[in-house]
Amino acid sequence: MKAILFFSILLLHFSSMAQSILLLHGTAHIGNGTVMESAAIGVVNDRIVFVKNSLTQTFNNKDWDTIINCNGQHFYPGLVSANNTLGLTEIDAVRATRDFNDVGDWNPHVRAQVAYNVESKVVETVRTNGVLLVQATPRGGWISGSSAVMKLSGWNWEDATVLADDGIHLNWPYDRNTYQAQKRAIYAFFEMAKTYAMAREAQASDLRLEAMKACFKGQKRVYIHAESIQQIVDVIDFAAAFQLPYPVIVGGHDAHLVGAKLRDSKIPIMLSRIHSLPQREDELTYLPYQMPALLKQQGISFCIQNDGDMQPMNTRNLPFQAGTTMAYGLSEEEALKAISLSVCQIMGIDKDYGTLEVGKKATFFVSKGPALDMRSNQLTTILVDGKFVSTSNFQEQLYLKYRQKYKDEAKSE
Amino acid sequence: MKARILIFLLASFVSAQLFAQFGPDNGVKASTPKYILIQHAIIMVKPGQTLQDADLLLQNGKIVQVGKNLKQDGAVALDYTGKVLVPSFIDMYSSVGLDPVTFKNNGWRPQLTSNKEGAYYWNEAVHPELTAAAAYKSTENSSEQLQQSGFGFVLTHHMDGIVRGSAAFVALGQAEVHKQILAPQAAQVYSFSKGASQQTYPSSQMGAIALLRQALYDLDYYSKNKASLPYSVSLSEWESQRNLPIIFKTDDKLEILRAQKIANEFKTNFLYIGSGNEYAIANELKGFKIVLPLVFPEAYEVNDPYLAREIPLSELKHWESAPSNAMLLKKEGLDIALTSFGLKNAEQFWTALRKAMARGLAPSDAMAALTTVPANWMGLSAQVGTLESGKLASFSVFSADPFAYEAQLLETWSLGEARYWKSANTVQLLGNYTLRIADATYELVVTGSPEKPQGKVLLKTASDTLSAKATIQLKQQDVSIQFLALNTPNPQLIQLHAKALKNGLVLEGEGTDAKGAWFHWSAIQQQTTPVSPPIALKPDTTVYGQVWFPNMAFGTTAKATQETLVFKNATVWTNEKEGVLKGADVLVVDGKIKQVSRQNIAVPAGARVVDATGLHLTSGIIDEHSHIAISRGVNEGGQAISAEVSIADVVNPDDIDIYRQLAGGVTAAQLLHGSANPIGGQSALVKLKWGVSAEDMLIDNAPHFIKCALGENVKQANWGDFNTVRFPQTRMGVEQVFYDGFYRAKAYQKEWDAFKAGKTKVAPRVDLELEVLSDILRSSCFITCHSYIQSEINMLMHVADSMGFRINTFTHILEGYKVADKMYKHGVAGSTFSDWWAYKFEVNDAIPYNAALMSEQGVVVCINSDDAEMGRRLNQEAAKTVKYGGLSEEEAWKLVTLNPAKALHLEAQMGSVKAGKAADLVLWTANPLSIEARVSMTMVDGVVYYEEKQQTEKQAQNEQERTRILSLMLAANERGEASKTPQKKVKKHFHCDTLGEEATETENSH
Repeated sequence: MKAILFFSILLLHFSSMAQSILLLHGTAHIGNGTVMESAAIGVVNDRIVFVKNSLTQTFNNKDWDTIINCNGQHFYPGLVSANNTLGLTEIDAVRATRDFNDVGDWNPHVRAQVAYNVESKVVETVRTNGVLLVQATPRGGWISGSSAVMKLSGWNWEDATVLADDGIHLNWPYDRNTYQAQKRAIYAFFEMAKTYAMAREAQASDLRLEAMKACFKGQKRVYIHAESIQQIVDVIDFAAAFQLPYPVIVGGHDAHLVGAKLRDSKIPIMLSRIHSLPQREDELTYLPYQMPALLKQQGISFCIQNDGDMQPMNTRNLPFQAGTTMAYGLSEEEALKAISLSVCQIMGIDKDYGTLEVGKKATFFVSKGPALDMRSNQLTTILVDGKFVSTSNFQEQLYLKYRQKYKDEAKSE
Repeated sequence: MKARILIFLLASFVSAQLFAQFGPDNGVKASTPKYILIQHAIIMVKPGQTLQDADLLLQNGKIVQVGKNLKQDGAVALDYTGKVLVPSFIDMYSSVGLDPVTFKNNGWRPQLTSNKEGAYYWNEAVHPELTAAAAYKSTENSSEQLQQSGFGFVLTHHMDGIVRGSAAFVALGQAEVHKQILAPQAAQVYSFSKGASQQTYPSSQMGAIALLRQALYDLDYYSKNKASLPYSVSLSEWESQRNLPIIFKTDDKLEILRAQKIANEFKTNFLYIGSGNEYAIANELKGFKIVLPLVFPEAYEVNDPYLAREIPLSELKHWESAPSNAMLLKKEGLDIALTSFGLKNAEQFWTALRKAMARGLAPSDAMAALTTVPANWMGLSAQVGTLESGKLASFSVFSADPFAYEAQLLETWSLGEARYWKSANTVQLLGNYTLRIADATYELVVTGSPEKPQGKVLLKTASDTLSAKATIQLKQQDVSIQFLALNTPNPQLIQLHAKALKNGLVLEGEGTDAKGAWFHWSAIQQQTTPVSPPIALKPDTTVYGQVWFPNMAFGTTAKATQETLVFKNATVWTNEKEGVLKGADVLVVDGKIKQVSRQNIAVPAGARVVDATGLHLTSGIIDEHSHIAISRGVNEGGQAISAEVSIADVVNPDDIDIYRQLAGGVTAAQLLHGSANPIGGQSALVKLKWGVSAEDMLIDNAPHFIKCALGENVKQANWGDFNTVRFPQTRMGVEQVFYDGFYRAKAYQKEWDAFKAGKTKVAPRVDLELEVLSDILRSSCFITCHSYIQSEINMLMHVADSMGFRINTFTHILEGYKVADKMYKHGVAGSTFSDWWAYKFEVNDAIPYNAALMSEQGVVVCINSDDAEMGRRLNQEAAKTVKYGGLSEEEAWKLVTLNPAKALHLEAQMGSVKAGKAADLVLWTANPLSIEARVSMTMVDGVVYYEEKQQTEKQAQNEQERTRILSLMLAANERGEASKTPQKKVKKHFHCDTLGEEATETENSH
């Protein structure tokens, strides 16, 4: 324990000056399903310049500003938490800190990016478990707003931004009594928005419809939150009716029951929190744990997300949610992919993030042991876009402070 | 049902003027016949005894004699040939004749005290002073549907509140109102439902239970010490009802068992009004007297499979079994009565009753359940229940035996007065007539039923037979017929009216033609169509499913039993000094661990051998803080101190989360009261068992625990701006609530000590709240206290120290790491979350290293769930302490097994794998702290309740049962039975801060 801390403090010291970094002799979990034993990763400025076998290569120490020998440790791409209010709220019960749900049913124009608090104390405790990117996402209404993909490190929301306004979030209706009417209202809104978007002549400016424009042109995704079969099949029809370039289903509790249809539609699923109870009394006790394997078997593209109770603070357990699926049909590398590359692919940022591959942003971490198991998720190095980030947080500082108090008192007795 | 033609043929003779109490008559005194003799009837005297062609002699509203060929000089004789007389039914649960209960809205602010002006009991839900007789209004019209169902007597009461007051036994019908009230104080009625009271207390079922118990103690105290106590209207009235039978209204099968505990405590008996699902625990209800409702759940519309899958199997099974409730309870040997409560009209009543009979409720049992059984239970057998001499002349007249045929109710007689609902068919028109009008001869063909004849008129011409539809109405003997003339070019209306003579053989009268001219006509019957006999009730021959334990998904067809079992070659986490044993065998016999050995254990005869090679065996997880398996409210938040309530009173064994926790290796839990107030309620220490009763889940001789709470929840900080009334609203106030409670408890103890020592003569009032606080002071009740920040933790330890007891456990205790040394010194355990924080202000300094830091200081530390989801992966939560703070794996594992056993004073019987301890064992597929560990098998007291390998089979069994019942439901849909649309039901959960009786979907804020 002492050694790790020393190490991380040392890193803090030269955090700003590192231009080139070489990490040696770790097991690289690439994030795309493959693994490379004894890997070396080269970073120049903010990008990965190589991922090679460290035993068959020789490196010139002088070429590198920083060399870290990670003997026996594990390299992972930064984990990505989709569909999350992290950074938009600090304390769930304190209204003053809740910045994720605004007034109104149709709010595509409200933007998570500008409310994202990069200095959130919660963010700091999530980062130290390996989650380095988040899709900060508004809640409420039929269209909650526009989410943004953000880094868990930065000086302000501008430099923390990976992708602003990456998509709008549409909450598909579920109430049986009003279902048809609400579905109609959604169709009507989208018809209006599409007409506005496709009009050749400039229209009178409309904030809502402006925010929708990119959804029809492929620059913005449409995240549709839907769980039941009825909702899912209706969402498939809806996406087809408006020829949405990038529809995504968020939730998808019943997705395994309509596999063929989903596969044909090519709509990916951002799967509900793994650590959740079955939604129905009669469902298999561990259905939520089995869902990733069920979707994999049916060839549906999916990733895992963490929406639910106390989601900001719970984001630090994202690696363990993925890890849990290892006992229910996914391999370790598949489980990792579901919270790294797959998320980035679905959100459209896989060119820069999601794997340990040449050309990608150097946003990754080093853990003493397998990071998807809580016992061995112990981070020794974190890089976000090539910059070192502390592996400690205020909670560890409090721990050390009080531990020291007891040590001092024990000595004086 | 629309035939409301009330022909008061006899009413003027029999009317009740005679009994008007002392009021003057307007005109001369009304006349009544001295005797009425009903002759040649079929008399169902009592269940199992029917007289054919019998007579009934009535006088002054009573039965003088029943038998054959009765004679009485001066009797008005009535011929009832073919009609069936059935004793009037008795409904024990009704509010007929009383004004409906009004619900007042007192605004948003909580109402802590009673708003009733006057010398009443302090809680508005306890109102024994309400007497039904005083408020009763005649029910001549309001009880029409009851009368048409066959009921002649009801027990009516104010259907509201927990102690509802006295019920009156009344006769329905048109008798003068004084006469209707047969017994003004016939019973008293209790329930667990608060009703219209807006007072905050009680807000939960356990609160209702505690309130009823306290009120009963208060009644006892009042009646012993009246002279020296201030007058109470409520208690004084209640005292006068003490010898009356007690009716207890329940809303669920489990409430019967809960109420019976109170009956036992106060050495009394209750008659229960059931809720309809008693069959599921029929074997636990032997000897109980239950009045069963006949309200059966409606089918769902199941033609859309997307929607059909939203119906839980528990509801499907209940839909299937509910009509068999009466039959299944009879089968268990129970006496049952029936109530029409909840049914809208007579048609619904008879449909439901016939359904119950079709399912195998014997006709004589059905009749008894409506007559002799309730009469007997209420001690009124001398007056009502049968048609024997000396009893009240109240009976219904049917067209046939209503328990055997689809009979029509024709008349109801109440206290000797008749009311006619349907005309008796004295005239039989069905057949063919020769109809003569002037010089024309037609053929008139009458078909249909005797009640609703339909006609056709035929005219034979040389070449053809002309035909026209004829409308026929029959009222007693008056027949009217209309048809369009057949031999005229334009339709011409012919209208006929006649008297039916000679039982319909001859019709004779006048008519008008299209021009309005009058003529004489007649018709003579040439051929009679025999009347078809009444339709016999058919038994339902469908094969129905079995009741499961519990009666829902993953239930079993037979209760699981103990096994003799050997785990072979396991990696055993003993939690003892032996540590983790590799390649060990464990023998389980009679629910206990018999032997743990690294040597080969010989397999006893008949034992099951489990090859545990590569698997890990541990003692079961013990969740120190859980809110699953609780009925109707986890918080009694109505008052700052509610020590009198107990979760043990409201354990719900039918919660699917029990099965889910077993699937996560949890074998025992402390079911805690919530954290809505500083001194909450007592805990239930349970073993998680599936398909057993609540009583069987409770751990025998378990230590007594109570939940206390500090901080934001108890000061209602996050409950909205209207919740600023109840004390305390600050941490300063919280301290004082504790001091106040304990000082009062000390004074209470002193009073009782003095009495017990013979220094005082009068036994002090029993105060259930102070009893428990005294137990805390005596260290026979242990505190588990919800806590977050160090100041409040420190404060409560000071309170305890100054009062001479010890806080047993701080739960949550997220800042425990800041005062771990003080905690160790005080000797308190810490039961915490592995890593939760950021959900409210007081958890800002919560750190996941808390468990490790407290452990290092010597505190007994547990990791708990407080959450049904997390509860089933506490192994993962324990594993986090390896990451945060570097505990060893064995230490980490003890946080969810041995340490909670210690904190709960249960370590002598559970918490480790050691010979002699309970066989609460879990077999894991891997190191239980590993992210890849799954539960392979969970056993509690030697009974295997969960096996992973059975899950596919279980699911198939669930699906098969669903499909079977859905096909029955679909058939019901097709028959046109009433149905409703399924809605997705998200299972709701109780959390620390859930208020009221219903679980919620809101976020957990602990």
